[in-house]
Amino acid sequence: MKRILQMMQKEFRQIFRDRPMMGIIFIVPLVQLLILAFAITTDVKHIKMSVVDFDKSAISREIINAFSQTERFDIKDFTQDLHRIDNDMRSWKTQIALVIPAGFSKDMQRGAKPQIHISADGVDGNTAGIALGYAQAILVKYGLENNSPDVSLTRRISLHIVNMVERMWYNLELDSQQFMVPGIVVVLLTIIPMMLSAMSLVKEKEIGTLEQLMVTPLRKHQLLLGKIIPFLILSYLELAIVMTVAILLFNIAMNGSYLLLASLSFLYLITTIGLGIFISTFTHTQQQAMFVAWFFMVFMIIMSGFFIPIDNMPGSLQAFTYLNPMRFFMAIIRDIFQKGSGLSYLSRDSAMMTFYGIIIITLAVFKFRKRVS
Amino acid sequence: MSEIAVQTSGLTKKFGDFVAVDQVSIDVKRGEIFGFLGANGAGKTTMIRMLCGLLKPTSGEGKVTGLDLYAESERIKQKIGYMSQKFSLYNDLTLSENIDFYGGIYGLNPTDIEFKKNQLLADLQLTPWRDKLTGTLPPGFKQGLALGTAMLHDPSIVFLDEPTSGVDPSSRRAFWDVIYQTASRGITVFVTTHFMDEAEYCHRISIMSTGKIIALDRPDNLREKYKLPTIQSVFVHLMRQASTH
Repeated sequence: MKRILQMMQKEFRQIFRDRPMMGIIFIVPLVQLLILAFAITTDVKHIKMSVVDFDKSAISREIINAFSQTERFDIKDFTQDLHRIDNDMRSWKTQIALVIPAGFSKDMQRGAKPQIHISADGVDGNTAGIALGYAQAILVKYGLENNSPDVSLTRRISLHIVNMVERMWYNLELDSQQFMVPGIVVVLLTIIPMMLSAMSLVKEKEIGTLEQLMVTPLRKHQLLLGKIIPFLILSYLELAIVMTVAILLFNIAMNGSYLLLASLSFLYLITTIGLGIFISTFTHTQQQAMFVAWFFMVFMIIMSGFFIPIDNMPGSLQAFTYLNPMRFFMAIIRDIFQKGSGLSYLSRDSAMMTFYGIIIITLAVFKFRKRVS
Repeated sequence: MSEIAVQTSGLTKKFGDFVAVDQVSIDVKRGEIFGFLGANGAGKTTMIRMLCGLLKPTSGEGKVTGLDLYAESERIKQKIGYMSQKFSLYNDLTLSENIDFYGGIYGLNPTDIEFKKNQLLADLQLTPWRDKLTGTLPPGFKQGLALGTAMLHDPSIVFLDEPTSGVDPSSRRAFWDVIYQTASRGITVFVTTHFMDEAEYCHRISIMSTGKIIALDRPDNLREKYKLPTIQSVFVHLMRQASTH
């Protein structure tokens, strides 16, 4: 026990004396959080729109007005020239075009089928699909609000669709930051502990102090615990800082239990620190360790559902994600933050994470030897 | 305590097909300065690493301070000191912190550590450097400090793996003075080197080539046996002989 404390004291002295390392541990994550939280957004807002109004009637003006009132669309251009839309789309000046044909209002009043054309830039299919959805919603809403007997468009629509009352649960505003920021917390709890433990052990290997420690009576478990415990403490400190910023600055709703979050984080940190130790057992320089850690990180982040929903992946790839411990922690953290889920809802993911945690830390400890090769 | 510090018979280490140490049998007496000479790759470092418990022997027997290499390697570690050619103190800790750390790892109590720290720093004339970072220490002082730190726990044997490589001649001379003082206190010194002049300072030397010991005796006996003026020339002679076989 005294030897473990000796190791811990030494570790803390080294970490706190290393200014660049302190920056990497505490400043970089905050910068990442601030930048990523704004950059990684799946919200579709301020879609650039061109309007071609051949009808020029009161009704067409009202429809255009309905589009201009929402922040989903920014009307950039009014034109009478259809060719211009093609040019503007190619030069990224517009993403969607609303074309109201001549005679639209007449058709509407006569009860004929009035048509509105909407053309969207399909290069970014995801955004285009969402934009078309919004556009449709605006048109339907316009029709319903003007539910007067002389507007036959309205009648046609209201006859054909079931009136849907929407209510989003958990994330009422569909704010993507509520979804992404907890994800970033997971990413940081993956990168920092893994890097810290891998680099710290490989650095001692490089400078020769690990060999020196190996000829002392310091036992393997004392050496490893003397490394793991400081990294755990630092990771928790990091978690506290990042969560404070997330909750105070980004107004991220934390609906679940802090205790549950802290205990499940422990399981995950054991996994990521274990991975770091594992990496250090077969790498000889800090560069090698960095590359291997980077490889693990990219795989883990992409296959975690962080920004690519796992349900959108091909079936074989989905199966692959079950090999990724980060996948489970990502789901757990998002559920705790947004839904306030208790352990009973998270038991399956927690069980899988525990399973990987035990496998990885066992493998790491087994492979880490108090002998040189 | 036994008068034999290190005893091996038929000690062998293979890495795959490569035999790094081949059937080496030695007896080293307590208080002896025992030198291991050989070209790079001759097996000196592998031999030392096996004796320190850093490598598991492939076959053969070995005892260090009367303890078995296989069964009691962790107990051996409490009784030996080790210093490699790599500087093994933490550059980002102060001299005092390094000594505290290693002393603590060897299980010494804080009062003993404090006492030994003051003594060691005074001996090395490093007392003013006590709270300076070890990385800022001039290179000539580092070796002495590393050796002193490796001996905080009063080991009965110290293993020095090329301790003077990369050290300037005057510091090397000073370092050997420390080795003599150490041996005079009854501590066995096991040292590998590729400096032939250093070999002359050893009580006994063994010359290794491709994993085997090809000569083992006192330096003066070796010079006499081969009728050559220096260990340098004996070494060159033996290496030529070995390569013609």
